[in-house]
Amino acid sequence: MLVADDDADIRELVEFKLSQAGYAVQAVPDGLAAWEAFESEPPAIAVLDVMMPGLSGFDVLRKIRESEHPRVPVLMLSAKSRDSDVDTGFAIGADDYVIKPFSPRELLHRVNTMLARTR
Amino acid sequence: MISWSSILAATLGVLLVCVALAGVVAAIRIRRHSREARRSRLMAPFRPHLVAVSAGEDPGGDSRRVLADVAGPARRALAESVSGMLGKVRGLPAEQLVEVLASHGALGRAVEDLGHRSPVRRAQAAQLLGLSRDPAAVDPLVGALGDHAAEVRASAAYALGLIGDPRAAGPLLHAVGAPGGGLPAGLAADALLSMGVGISDSLVHGLVDPDPRTRTVTAHLCGAGSFTRALPLLRDLVALDPDLTVRETCATALGRIGRAEDAEVLTRHTQVEHPQPLRRVCAAALGELGDPSAVPTLAALTHDPDPRLAELAASTLVRLGPQGRAALAAGGALRPVRSAMTMARLQGVLP
Repeated sequence: MLVADDDADIRELVEFKLSQAGYAVQAVPDGLAAWEAFESEPPAIAVLDVMMPGLSGFDVLRKIRESEHPRVPVLMLSAKSRDSDVDTGFAIGADDYVIKPFSPRELLHRVNTMLARTR
Repeated sequence: MISWSSILAATLGVLLVCVALAGVVAAIRIRRHSREARRSRLMAPFRPHLVAVSAGEDPGGDSRRVLADVAGPARRALAESVSGMLGKVRGLPAEQLVEVLASHGALGRAVEDLGHRSPVRRAQAAQLLGLSRDPAAVDPLVGALGDHAAEVRASAAYALGLIGDPRAAGPLLHAVGAPGGGLPAGLAADALLSMGVGISDSLVHGLVDPDPRTRTVTAHLCGAGSFTRALPLLRDLVALDPDLTVRETCATALGRIGRAEDAEVLTRHTQVEHPQPLRRVCAAALGELGDPSAVPTLAALTHDPDPRLAELAASTLVRLGPQGRAALAAGGALRPVRSAMTMARLQGVLP
């Protein structure tokens, strides 16, 4: 799994939560690193923050949808909570959108569900 | 005539100021960086425990016990890290992080810090109390709504919104119109909306508050939160409030949550004897309300000399379904009607 967030707290706790659930996680601090990680090895799921330096989460999502692996499920994890932000995320092709502050337990449930649907 | 020497001296002076400013900026950055580095160093042994608690992966409470036992300089660093984490997670992990802070006495200190001489400390204390979501913090935070520093008042309002206890609704509404600089209306409205239906009584009182800013925010909340108990007062205020903004906000709220009988109130206030801004708001609100009894009045308004009002009336007719569109078709040659129909086609409302 790929987790991209410029906030070290969030990055570490999502990585920890997903690792505890048995997933192999690669956590990166910005959009460009996320895109590079995706290109080198497409993950089963990508969890992307929206506001990141360089490429934003939305930019990465667009690139994923235009890539050779457009069906990789993407969950946006963002503090941008306005309806228009959520609309934008889904319009670009997000499979789910979780607003910060978030429940790590709920995030795990959503990731599990997304993964179950793709299998 | 300005001499070369005075130009040189002025240039040197400006350069010196620039160098000094750059030095100050660099010093601030270095200080911030070293503080961050020190905090990371102090926190390093406890970081895995903080992450475990924040992730909700501390079922036995071992990590919480380690964090509760932190002492010395690391305790302050931990309090900062826990506060930072509290703004990012919710649910059980947030509750457990608050337990850690409480075990260090940080919440009690935050209440004391609301009286600190530094407004930054007071604002931080208010924020921490809000993040704790502890109902016991409501009273001290209500007190902070009267702080002379705007940032502290704003932090207190935000914190009260996080706690979501409707007991704070009345004081929040009152603080919007407080003399000597109240609360920003948007901030108060956000905080109040997060308190749920329990604010209903306070809204009824807020509509008769002496301050028009409080009445405006209250009227907005009545519409945004569908507080239909306020309908009788909203109707009265559209007609009688001495403040035009309050009347407009009440009309908008009536459009959102009103009943069929409110079409008459709104229609009456689109008439020429009322202020132009109110007439426009009422015309738009009739579209929100969606009652077709307004069609004849709106059709007449498409002839109004105020082009904005005429266009709003035409757009509202489009939204009122077949009856409204039939009335529009009858006035098809009018410029506002043509423009409203073009807009409706562009938006895909009309074929």
